[in-house]
Amino acid sequence: MRVDPYYVTNLVGSLDQAQASEQQLSSELSSGARVTSLSQDPVGSGENVLLLNQIQQDDSFTQSSSLVTGQLQVADSALGSVVSQLTQAISLATSANNGTMNSSDVKSISNQISGILDEVQSLANTSYQGQYIFAGGQTSTAPFATSTATSPAVTTYSGDEDVNNLQTPNGQKIQLNVPGDQIFMGSGSNSVFGALNSLIADYSSGTVDTNQAVSDTEALGTALNYVSQQRVTIDNSITQVTAASDAVTSVQTQLTTAQTNLMQADVATVSTQLSLSETQQTALEDVIAQLNSTSNDLFSKLPE
Amino acid sequence: MGTINSALSIMSQALDADQEALNVVANNVANANTPGYTEETPNWQENQPISIGGVSYGQGAAETGATSARDRVLESRLDQQQQLASASGSRLTALDTLQALFTPDSGSSSSTAGDIGSDITSFFDSFSSLEATPTSNSLRQGVLTAAKALAGDISNAAASLNSQRSALDQEATGVTSQVNSLSSAIAQLNQQIQTTSPDADAGTLEDQRQEDLSQLSQLIGINQITTQNNGLEITTTSGQLLVSEGMNYQLTTGMVNGVTDFFVGNTDITSQLTSGGGSLGGYLTARDQDIPGALTSLDQLAYSISTTVNAQNNAGTDYDGATGTAANPLNIFSEPTAVAGSAASMSVVMTDPNQIAAAGAGDGTGDNSNAAAMAKLASQSIVNGQTPTNYYSNFVTTLGSTVSSVQTENTAQNASVTQLQTQNNALSGVNLNDEASSMTTFERSYEAASQVFTMLNTIMASALNLGDQTTVS
Repeated sequence: MRVDPYYVTNLVGSLDQAQASEQQLSSELSSGARVTSLSQDPVGSGENVLLLNQIQQDDSFTQSSSLVTGQLQVADSALGSVVSQLTQAISLATSANNGTMNSSDVKSISNQISGILDEVQSLANTSYQGQYIFAGGQTSTAPFATSTATSPAVTTYSGDEDVNNLQTPNGQKIQLNVPGDQIFMGSGSNSVFGALNSLIADYSSGTVDTNQAVSDTEALGTALNYVSQQRVTIDNSITQVTAASDAVTSVQTQLTTAQTNLMQADVATVSTQLSLSETQQTALEDVIAQLNSTSNDLFSKLPE
Repeated sequence: MGTINSALSIMSQALDADQEALNVVANNVANANTPGYTEETPNWQENQPISIGGVSYGQGAAETGATSARDRVLESRLDQQQQLASASGSRLTALDTLQALFTPDSGSSSSTAGDIGSDITSFFDSFSSLEATPTSNSLRQGVLTAAKALAGDISNAAASLNSQRSALDQEATGVTSQVNSLSSAIAQLNQQIQTTSPDADAGTLEDQRQEDLSQLSQLIGINQITTQNNGLEITTTSGQLLVSEGMNYQLTTGMVNGVTDFFVGNTDITSQLTSGGGSLGGYLTARDQDIPGALTSLDQLAYSISTTVNAQNNAGTDYDGATGTAANPLNIFSEPTAVAGSAASMSVVMTDPNQIAAAGAGDGTGDNSNAAAMAKLASQSIVNGQTPTNYYSNFVTTLGSTVSSVQTENTAQNASVTQLQTQNNALSGVNLNDEASSMTTFERSYEAASQVFTMLNTIMASALNLGDQTTVS
């Protein structure tokens, strides 16, 4: 049987392949990336896009959640101050209602409650980063204003009923604000401003219509409870954001691990493959050197 | 009756024949590394015997040229396989350049630059962030920055694809002149072979023609048809005549719809050449199928994102309380008119971050419902029935699979070429050991003939002297 006299050329081809494989493996080792082109692992590359998408989304949510937590905490603290102001107003009204005060004392109570109204209104107009947080969607203008043209005075709400939600990566919606009129202008006896304005009017003359004043004081008590209830919504949101952020962070950790496993080179495996390639290269080189040595040629055996 | 003279004549012919045989061996050794050379073996022939008085006397041997060790079927198989391997090889080179534009992102922050997948995510994430504080100027600016990165990377990729396409176009055009010079060389060789050797293997001329054929096979897909008097007809794989015996038909090029098309006479054979094989077939497949395919996918992605995001932004209220109208649209991206070309022309037209409509229609500027709707687009099937990220993920998987399958194909075809090459070399290659052995044989034969000649000379002297040893020596 005849053989291919140029078989050494084919061996050199194999040698090239061994070297190309070594080059690829060393680049995997130095970059740490297992997949450096799509064709090396098409399915893995596609999966990688999806994993990175989720990781980035989670990362972005974690940042958003720290932003909204700040805003929610400001709202919570404002409502906390409102509650303590209202508590003080109720105790002032109760002392005025017991009939032991003289006219000027009652007027002074009226002035103090009026001060509380200003304070509560300023709290209701609280802004965070330049935006009024109890104005619904109309965050660029202060939502509450009081007109003293009538007696009792009237506080109006210029915001709207808009509620913002933050959506978590798994689709859960977290309420970010409570419109101001829901908190401070609740219907009937739930209205904080209505009750405060009525009390101011009740005591402004120095004489107290006890029945009316007691009824208005009770209304303020109801309104206070109502504010506390609304505050719970904000507190719940804070808890939800924290919980969602924690959950997302833990998911993100898992995803990052999965992504690392998918795309990063396994140093042990790559090193083993590299070592095998090197061995093969050495072997091939030896074979080629052996075959190319002139003593293997019949011509060299011919008599000189 | 045999004579000493005729014996001397037989021996001198034998010496000539051995010299000629040694000449063939020397030629083989000299051409051991010539591409396309096939090993030749000397032909030996017994001379016609002479019959004298009913008795037949042998008249020695003659050397009548050499025969090339050739298997036409094997050579034509090798050519065909070479055409396939060249096609997948040049296509693979083009695809390797193509897929380098979409190198997988390893996940580290430095690798995300230029990655369209990350850009898509960052863009829609910027709306999620805006959802938290819809009035924040820096977050609004962030949306525009992410939009610019996305539009920039998509349009850069499209521009690179287009320039790769024109580079392939040029390479393909460059092949034409090589094909033409080879086909005219083959036509000339056909003429020579038909004149000098109509009935038998034409040896060296045949080697040259075969070498030209195998070079031509690396360039384009061809069929070979043997005609009378050892002539050859060459057509493209789909039957367009390129060489007919002594005539060759030039391949010409011309621009059609912005790309180079290939003609023979007035016939446009571009699509035939594309599927035909050879490196030209590979270039054309990449130029007319692979790159346009990738471009179409990017176009679809760019078109869907641009139009959907623009429409959603126009559906909301911006920071200045304005809503987009037909006359004054609040477009973030330049609005594409058709899918084709969307990727290359994708750009951000919005300059004022206040124009991002985070609030819902009719809502106050503090509302975030439209920003939420924009962020939600990321998980909606807005690109050909898929989410943008899924669409891109499928795109890279498809592209990677194509490259990987062409790689596999090319490896298999190259292995097959190597195998056929080995078979062909085993038959036609010059084996120096064989030559050494032949040379020794002919050398011995020559020595023997000259020895016999010397002996005959002595015998002749004896005959002339008739016993007297001193007259002739």
